[in-house]
Amino acid sequence: MAATAAGVFHTSYASELRLRHTSAERLRLVVVAAGLLTLPWLVSPYWLGIVNTIGIAAIGAVGLNILVGFTGQISLGQGGFLAVGAFTSGLLVQRAGLPVPLAMLAAVLVTAVVGAFFGLPALRLKGLYLAIATIASQEIIIFVVRRWGWLTGGQGFLDVDRLTLFGWRVPRTSFEFVWYWIIAGLAVLAVVTARNLFRTALGRSFMAVRDHDIAASAIGVDLTRTKLLAFAVSSGYVGLAGALTAHYTQTVTWERFTIDVSIQYLAMIIVGGLGSIAGAVYGAAFIMLLPPLLAELADALRNRVPLLADQLPAVQAAAFGLVIVLFLLFEPRGLDRIWRRVKDYVRFWPFRY
Amino acid sequence: MRKLTLAAVATVLLAGCGGPTAGDGGNEDRKDIVIGVIADLTGATADVGKPYNEGMLAYIDNLNAKGGVDGHKIKALSEDYQYKVPTAEEKYKKFVAEGAVAIQGWGTGDSEALRSKVKDDELPFMSASYAEVLTDPKQSPYNFVVAPTYSDQLRVAIDHIAAQDPAAQLAVLHHDSPFGTAPLADAEKWIKDKGYQLGFKAYPMKAGATDHVGILQQAKAQGAKYVVIQNVSSPAAVVAKDIAAQKLDMKIVCLNWCADELFIKVAGTAAEGHLMIQPFAPPGITKPGHQTVRDYCQGKGIDLDDRGLHFVQGWYTMHAMVKGIEKTLGGGKELTGPNIRAGLETMPAVDTGGVIAPIKFSADSHRGATASNIYRVSGGKFTEVTAAVAPKA
Repeated sequence: MAATAAGVFHTSYASELRLRHTSAERLRLVVVAAGLLTLPWLVSPYWLGIVNTIGIAAIGAVGLNILVGFTGQISLGQGGFLAVGAFTSGLLVQRAGLPVPLAMLAAVLVTAVVGAFFGLPALRLKGLYLAIATIASQEIIIFVVRRWGWLTGGQGFLDVDRLTLFGWRVPRTSFEFVWYWIIAGLAVLAVVTARNLFRTALGRSFMAVRDHDIAASAIGVDLTRTKLLAFAVSSGYVGLAGALTAHYTQTVTWERFTIDVSIQYLAMIIVGGLGSIAGAVYGAAFIMLLPPLLAELADALRNRVPLLADQLPAVQAAAFGLVIVLFLLFEPRGLDRIWRRVKDYVRFWPFRY
Repeated sequence: MRKLTLAAVATVLLAGCGGPTAGDGGNEDRKDIVIGVIADLTGATADVGKPYNEGMLAYIDNLNAKGGVDGHKIKALSEDYQYKVPTAEEKYKKFVAEGAVAIQGWGTGDSEALRSKVKDDELPFMSASYAEVLTDPKQSPYNFVVAPTYSDQLRVAIDHIAAQDPAAQLAVLHHDSPFGTAPLADAEKWIKDKGYQLGFKAYPMKAGATDHVGILQQAKAQGAKYVVIQNVSSPAAVVAKDIAAQKLDMKIVCLNWCADELFIKVAGTAAEGHLMIQPFAPPGITKPGHQTVRDYCQGKGIDLDDRGLHFVQGWYTMHAMVKGIEKTLGGGKELTGPNIRAGLETMPAVDTGGVIAPIKFSADSHRGATASNIYRVSGGKFTEVTAAVAPKA
């Protein structure tokens, strides 16, 4: 593409529907793929563990973005839905002896159903009111998993065995390495399916509801069906993230699924970019990398600024808040938008637009 | 980058000690022994978690200054987990990645959650949680409990109350977590098995509450004369103040984690006359074992009486772990998890100079001790009621 082109223009429907429009985008895909394939050999197991948690968070954030960013239904119930996925998969493996892949599939379906159920208030509520209703679902689910003794056999948490796939138990020494491939594979699958969802009639009806629900209904979008499906599809992804959390961390405890987690996920999609699948991935990486990077920084500055290391949790919380405020002020459409602006700058140079 | 920093620190340490390995970080024989320490410095139990952690690190500092174990320095990786189970797991993973051979944990929730992982990873794990389930090697093969369990402490409390007032009503106020609920079922069974006529009712305490008047009203309606508290010092002190303010005729019995100087300090005069079940002798009650700690503190300008008994508790918990490592090294064995476990199980009883009853583990039991001390608060100080009392046989 010539440097003087004033933008990306389409001359046919097929060209507009294409996922990638420029050779630069195709090149980026190759670079990303190469990066993903070589990463586990480049980083230490500790950092690979962080990459794995990012992968799981990315799946959950993609799910939440489908609901919040693409359908405009704000949800603070993310933590609860993660809990449903985690407990479903954990229980099916530990109590019913189901193979892990089947249990995770079941977790996706169960969470989708539970999500659709708790999405029912969305039929009548919007905006802030819906947010409060989803807080209720969050609290109800946490109450149930915390107080229902049967779920955890009275011990307050659920032990999950180290992953066994088709009779092969993941060895302790290459735990993170094996999990990397599982999580990376599923995360890529989640991204590809979500990206394609918005090229279908269903995905477009989600966006129509977000942009103007009355107009959407006037052109024939069934609001009830669309909103509930958005909750179900979104929760399905979240359920997958929950199930992965269960098997990856081997301990399912309610503490991992509190409202803090719901807010953390909302932060991911705000920082990454509402209504962008790539943004959900950027946001997940950003929010999950922030605490360990701050810990490294505090460690490196331990002698010069001891306060940073002594008050690390407070510093991390403050940095989290600061990042959200800065993004809301300077780029409410998140990292994805920043990336686009960088691309445009390069593409249009030497012109401004 | 972290690795680089570690390597740099290790090199500096090795160079600093000027031994035969100076400048040569590759010598396998005198490698640093890495112990991971999961600490609550800013979380819900930080009031007691901080001095405990300081005590552990002070012990290591003292030990290293005296040459370490068998020529090995101990390197303690200590991290704050804010009393959150998921964070504890992250820290644990990090310690394993950095080559820890043993772990010092903290709370009940996280210790129980990590139980299957340390079993899987074969890493000996001591915690400040004295939950009964952690003492059974069949269920928790790598967990070691240095002190009497919460259940044993509550049994001692019940025995004591039954002897004073056979038909009293007990209200057990507990932290709303696995830590708080750990001894409840065992205590009810104990009352039944011993044929006591005591009444027993448990009340979860809301975290972060500024007063506990509501619970005390319920306890009053129950007719409770004794309020047993299984929580940390700060909320327990609030209960003591509430009892004084409401002029209720109730006596508090603090277990382990609120039976300390902080409770007395925060509650002030409201603490007077209340009872404490505490396995560890506070620095105010002089025992021979306090002297080493006191000497170290004096050298470093630390006020031991201000740090209190949890400092001593951390100190001697680490001492027990190090004794196990020493035994393993003494037997010429490699420092692996299973070998350290065997070392802990076979070492002779650890004498703490009377700070806590001698700590002894075996292959069948990881219950280090059963005896607790009973103290009464009088004149703002601990006074010994009965020393080293175990639950009735």
